[in-house]
Amino acid sequence: MTQPNTQELNPREKRPLDTGSAESTSTSPKFSPQVDIWENDKGLTVVADMPGVSAEGLSIDLNENVLTIHGQVEIPFPGRRIISQEFEVGDFYRQFKLSEEIDQEAINAVIRDGVLTVNLPKLAPAQPRKITVVSA
Amino acid sequence: MAFLPFWGREWPVRFWELEKMRNHMETVYNALAGGINQIRRNYTGVFPLVNITEDDNSLFLTAELPGLVADQLEVSIKGDTLTLKGTKTAEKAEENVNYHRRERETGTFSRSLTLPLKVKAEEVEARFKNGVLTITLPKAAEAKAHQITVQAQ
Repeated sequence: MTQPNTQELNPREKRPLDTGSAESTSTSPKFSPQVDIWENDKGLTVVADMPGVSAEGLSIDLNENVLTIHGQVEIPFPGRRIISQEFEVGDFYRQFKLSEEIDQEAINAVIRDGVLTVNLPKLAPAQPRKITVVSA
Repeated sequence: MAFLPFWGREWPVRFWELEKMRNHMETVYNALAGGINQIRRNYTGVFPLVNITEDDNSLFLTAELPGLVADQLEVSIKGDTLTLKGTKTAEKAEENVNYHRRERETGTFSRSLTLPLKVKAEEVEARFKNGVLTITLPKAAEAKAHQITVQAQ
């Protein structure tokens, strides 16, 4: 792994999903996951913290250069009484606009221990084509 | 948190105005904060945030710890104090990358909390699934509610 980080973690409240001007019709909360995104010449990698999301509850979609990730979280233990609540539980949803040309066929995604990793390989750049002008 | 309204004669009229203003501000704040405000009430400011629920037989403690693996997580219980410790490490990026976003934090944590009632420490179970830690703490016999039958005479 990387170098050990001994910095103490601070709690952060989950960021409620910003729906812009559109109102949400559902009453259950939705959150915007925290992400790391990095890029090199081979492709783009998106890593998102989505605790409580299993592979079955996850949908990833790339449409017109917009990457959408949506993780459904099962509301745990309905019927139990709440004694103390510090965080809310809800689905995760976030969209990214990609500027690079992505090889759609080669996208792969893995979710492990509540962390989603999406690899988006870039398309091989179009080869410059020399056009010979023939004189008539 | 609300100020107790004080309607007594000693309360000078000028404070009354202040109280009214404060109430008004609280209403606005609540409207803005919405549901989040309710949760802040229990906000302790120590990582990780935990929810505690119960049923008749057990207490359940949940914490969201994405990216941790079970062996980086230490759960211990002593008396009525439960301690959670662990380290969150970064995902390994490839060489020569440029970051576009870096929101996920890494580091260590240690949190102790006092359980609201007696539990059977030797029967406590901790499970880690999809980045969510769930600790099941069976209630001690003396902490369970007893149903008392009312007899008609």
